[in-house]
Amino acid sequence: MKRTPFTFFASLFAALLLPALFLISGCEAEQPRTDAEMIDGDGIHIEGTWARPASEGRMSAAYFLITNFEEEPDTLLSVESDVARLVEIHESFEREEGMMGMREIPQLQIPAQSTVRLEQGGLHIMLIQVTRTLADGDTFELTLNFAGHGEKTIEIPVRL
Amino acid sequence: MNRSIFLTILTLSFLLTALTGCGPERLDDYSDVRFELTDQNGESVIFPDDFRGAPLVVGFIYTHCPDICSFITANVGKVYEELDNPGDTRFALVTFDPERDTPEVLKKYADAFDMDREPFSFLTGDPETIQAFMERVSLRSQESFSRDLDDGERVYFLNHSDKILLIDQNSRLVFDYGGSMTPINIILEDLKKL
Ligand SMILES: [Cu+2]
Repeated sequence: MKRTPFTFFASLFAALLLPALFLISGCEAEQPRTDAEMIDGDGIHIEGTWARPASEGRMSAAYFLITNFEEEPDTLLSVESDVARLVEIHESFEREEGMMGMREIPQLQIPAQSTVRLEQGGLHIMLIQVTRTLADGDTFELTLNFAGHGEKTIEIPVRL
Repeated sequence: MNRSIFLTILTLSFLLTALTGCGPERLDDYSDVRFELTDQNGESVIFPDDFRGAPLVVGFIYTHCPDICSFITANVGKVYEELDNPGDTRFALVTFDPERDTPEVLKKYADAFDMDREPFSFLTGDPETIQAFMERVSLRSQESFSRDLDDGERVYFLNHSDKILLIDQNSRLVFDYGGSMTPINIILEDLKKL
């Protein structure tokens, strides 16, 4: 698990997002995005979502970053979706020299003011036997169950 | 995984190769073997004979593995996309799970990666042939865990070596890369030297 200190993100947001917000606010206020939550620095924020294409009945993996802006840690307890017959939190890891394996992570800790990265070759949401073909450009929904923040439904775009 | 040590070793091996005057030192020679495989279209493919005459980039996968093996497959695809002059270079993904990875399954898998086309081959074979082939290329795999689905179907997963090989036009092994971890520009550089 790779975690990035909150301070790094805070400065990144300050450097990148604030000027972007100024620009956007000059145009229109039509997008009810959750960026305010990020600026306020509370809650759980998910970004960078994507998943691998897969044909019906096969496997896919979903990836994203989870940032916990709170002073308290939270835990991702489970993930649900009607897009697969079984959805699990997994981690790929090197078992011994050159041998890769996968294991289930029953509960994923999200430490206070940290980002946990689900990315290729590491943590991923494992979609076992997808119920429909996921082609490049499709989207589907995942519902994340957090111990502290409850359910959060996110949209996952499928891409290569 | 200690990537920095891996990269250091890789860099040193490059330097050594350069210093030894680029004599074609090869890690292995497959010209004396013959494995009859089947591609995603059900066509027979003989390894390595059908690949002689051009470089071959080959990765090893099983399609029940969407993380590491997708990474390997995508990397092989990217090497082709980013190669300035691919020429006759061939690209193959070989399954080490022939029981489940039939030509039909591989064809759908290839299509999902937009790789069901030239110059890519997705290869399987009968279990004995695949086992002998994997032994020859030092690819290890073993069952790890399984899940029982609600209809009673059992889905199992494998632990496996993470590998991409670069084989030259004379069926000799040029390099054995960590499949998912190798930056593809390293493979591109090695390909350019062939
Ligand atoms: Cu997995």
